Amino acid sequence: MRILLSLATVLFSANALASGGFTWLHGVHEKFGLGVETGTNFEHFTTFLLTSAIFIVGGLIFKFKTANVEKSIVPDKGVSFRNIVEFIGEFIYNLAKSTMGAKDARTYYPLLIFYFGFIFLNNLIGLIPGFLPPTENFNTGLALGVWIFIYYNAMGVKVQGLVGHIKHFMGPMIYMAPLIFVLEIISHAMRPLTLGLRIRGNMLGDHTVLAIFSDLVPYVVPLPFYMLGIFVCFMQAFVFTLLTMIYISMAVETHDHEEHAH
Amino acid sequence: MEANGMIALASAIAIGLAAFGGTQAQGKAAAAALEGIARNPEAQGKIFTPMILGMALIESLVILGFVIAFMIQGKF
Repeated sequence: MRILLSLATVLFSANALASGGFTWLHGVHEKFGLGVETGTNFEHFTTFLLTSAIFIVGGLIFKFKTANVEKSIVPDKGVSFRNIVEFIGEFIYNLAKSTMGAKDARTYYPLLIFYFGFIFLNNLIGLIPGFLPPTENFNTGLALGVWIFIYYNAMGVKVQGLVGHIKHFMGPMIYMAPLIFVLEIISHAMRPLTLGLRIRGNMLGDHTVLAIFSDLVPYVVPLPFYMLGIFVCFMQAFVFTLLTMIYISMAVETHDHEEHAH
Repeated sequence: MEANGMIALASAIAIGLAAFGGTQAQGKAAAAALEGIARNPEAQGKIFTPMILGMALIESLVILGFVIAFMIQGKF
């Protein structure tokens, strides 16, 4: 089975580059005519819809499988769908616990696991020959980043009140406040941009390397780059989630200023 | 030199310098983290997360350089 899969990957990657940047959607368009312009934006958007559908269906399947509480106490044997989902969930939960503390981790867990799972899936789909990863498009990354920006500011206001949240931007000393305020505003405004650009740049770079190497030698040689691709996909989703955790925990931390005021 | 050659050079220099500085800094971060782990293997879990975080923040500037290189290239 494993050999068959790797063989299929090799064959498909050869097939993909023989036709000069083949994608499934473009193939369908050539055959039947979709009646729309199929640029890269359209490709990314359609793939994004597809991954959203996969994500929702996967979530529903998991929900139905664990709906019966008595049966779902006993874990499955071996590598099953449920075990994979639980493994990823536990990994993110432990990470959140070590960066945000147990209480905050519990509160913000749904957002974090959604971001990790969704970005990871969106990255991974680019490794299937004939699909473009939606995260390769800057619009996707920027949308995800801007939502994080809005969310952590809203949470900061909710937890600490508007005055308390703005005090965060002021720095420790009042006479330094005007200078630090400007710097902080700039650095906060850069956050959604860098989140989006990081994921966009990394995915584009990874995809380009893969494309160039499968163009040079279509068989076998690209396989190590697929491994690298899986690693990069995981790492980018991980970094995005980690930075989200840090931003949220920085916005909602309520520490006493007397304790370390110097 | 004609303008197109200058544009190609500019884009190569932009990403080259950014990658050079970024890899130097990331190498330092990785070296320090590995040394810490070698001295105290049990601290691996605690060192790993801040190391990744630092590397991500260093990398964001390199990626800004990458984007600039792309933007310059788009002027051909």
